[in-house]
Amino acid sequence: MLDAFLALAEWQNLLFLAVGTGLGIVVGAIPGLTASMLIALTLPLTFHMDPVSAVTLLIGEYVGGISGGLITAILLRMPGTPASIVTTFDGYPMAQNGFAERALALGIMASVVGGIISWGFLAGMSPALARFALQFGPWEYFTLVLMALVMLAVLSQGSMVKGLMAAALGMAFALPGIDSSIGQARLTFGSSAMLSGFGLLPVLIGAFAISQILRDAATPQESGRMDMPKSKLPIYRSDLGYAPKLLRGSVIGTWIGLLPGIGANIAALVSYSTEKQLSKEPEKFGTGHEPGVVAAESANNASIGGALIPLITMGIPGSVTEAILIGALTIHNLQPGPLLFQNAPEIAYGIIAAYLVANVLMLMLMWGAVRYIARIVQLPRSGLMAVILVFCVTGSYAVNSSFSDVWVMIGFGLVGLGLEYCRVPLGPFVIGFVLSPIAEEQLRASLMMSDGNLAEILTRPYALLFLALALITVIWPYIAARLGARARAKQAEEPS
Amino acid sequence: MRDATRQTIADVILAALVAAGAALLFIGAAELPPPRFEPLGSAALPRILGTLLIFFAVILVIRALLRLRAGQASAAAPSGADPRRGALVFVALVLYVAALDFGRMPFVPATTVFVTATGLVIGARSWVNLAVFAAVGLVLSLAISTILERFLYISIG
Repeated sequence: MLDAFLALAEWQNLLFLAVGTGLGIVVGAIPGLTASMLIALTLPLTFHMDPVSAVTLLIGEYVGGISGGLITAILLRMPGTPASIVTTFDGYPMAQNGFAERALALGIMASVVGGIISWGFLAGMSPALARFALQFGPWEYFTLVLMALVMLAVLSQGSMVKGLMAAALGMAFALPGIDSSIGQARLTFGSSAMLSGFGLLPVLIGAFAISQILRDAATPQESGRMDMPKSKLPIYRSDLGYAPKLLRGSVIGTWIGLLPGIGANIAALVSYSTEKQLSKEPEKFGTGHEPGVVAAESANNASIGGALIPLITMGIPGSVTEAILIGALTIHNLQPGPLLFQNAPEIAYGIIAAYLVANVLMLMLMWGAVRYIARIVQLPRSGLMAVILVFCVTGSYAVNSSFSDVWVMIGFGLVGLGLEYCRVPLGPFVIGFVLSPIAEEQLRASLMMSDGNLAEILTRPYALLFLALALITVIWPYIAARLGARARAKQAEEPS
Repeated sequence: MRDATRQTIADVILAALVAAGAALLFIGAAELPPPRFEPLGSAALPRILGTLLIFFAVILVIRALLRLRAGQASAAAPSGADPRRGALVFVALVLYVAALDFGRMPFVPATTVFVTATGLVIGARSWVNLAVFAAVGLVLSLAISTILERFLYISIG
């Protein structure tokens, strides 16, 4: 770990981390632009960087992207990222009551504390969990990937059927190309251009950035009036009294971040609701109550540290951003998972170290520059969208110096737009695309090891546990609905 | 058109497209050789996914029809959207890439024109904006082509 911090202290790594964090904060503050879009767009640049620098840049963008959302959530009631939706509940009323600086100060402080506490879990649990995951064989990996995909699909917003369909569609799009296990073309329909399949980057950029910009271009821009912070951000000694709330929010955020598909916004909501239930003055929540900002911001930032744990120890993404990070590691010929700690410890520990330092840099950048970031956010977005489109084109082209990738990107932009129009979640689609090769490889290896005997899975307790969890995730909404209906019917039958 | 009807039509079209995609998976899988060295084979996953996609498509159609019959309205679609602007930006993007790819147009002028056109489609149309977007496009294209060519040794356009 110390080596990772020393590597991070090299000026170019520190610079990449600072640039990534700064870019992330700005992009996170702009409503409609997300950390996943930024990471997908900067991924092509990392091809030519050494893996440690690439990882520090992307982790900085992730941390900055989630944290930056609080600026517009507080000043404009327009959360820069979905993770900051809950921050608007009390942050915006505080700003309206003339306490914008105080809300920003509390939000930044809670974000940093949330990040640092979840870093403790990340650094403490990851090596042990990776050692434990080394016992896993192909059956365990296959069922783990299946469980993560099912959870992501079921827990994503909207219809469960559409979530599962999105995951299956994403997996199907990953099939064309050379089947590496037999060295033969599959689903290419005689096209030589299809031999290399659909590239990860054009798919990611198309599905996220292009579809988002086309949608934003069609939507009128909301132009809220922003009261710029005027004075210094105030923080008091009495804020130490928020320590239990910060700890609670951070622990909730970390544990929710660990579960695939739930995300920072739900972490913030659960933390906020918990704080409200425990409060002696719950009626004050939603009116500009400081603990509301503390609960939301500590949890949404802590969820990043939680989500990084399954990513680096088992190669399982908790959200789209982690799926893109898996893609980034794969591009650098690194396989996320338990072997990462053995084969590339500088990357595994580098991610952990970068996460902590990114939180500290985020504190410094946001504390010092929140006023200027708020000004950037007010620049017209029309020019910004055109600039992002140019980055999408050049980023996709730079992968193989080929315009085929750019056309693939445009095609997936349309696919993304169509799916969103039909209210099919994009997250499971992209994660299905990323996880499909891993799932197929592990299933093939499992069946080879067991001579094609599927019943072998019954002798693997962890694989059975993962399958059971996947099954429960699918059927639980129906059971819960049935139980709820029965309870309501019973209540109605009872004489009043 | 009522939202329930619009959503039903969208779901039915989606189901039809997904079923067509599943059919492609089956056709492609039929051309693959049977497994020789391992039990699963190359065609198994396309067939499994094809079956799952058809299953989900059927559920989607049944639910859409039931919703239409019950006259349920789903969540309201975003109001005030102007799809023409999105379509114009998409056309500009396709023309831009086609100009670079098939027209062999140099990157700097193509990008300057694209940024100006897209900026004016999305934002307010004025002479000031025209000048600003043109300047942004020119500076951006020069910066990107310099970075690509000097540092990454990639030639574009």
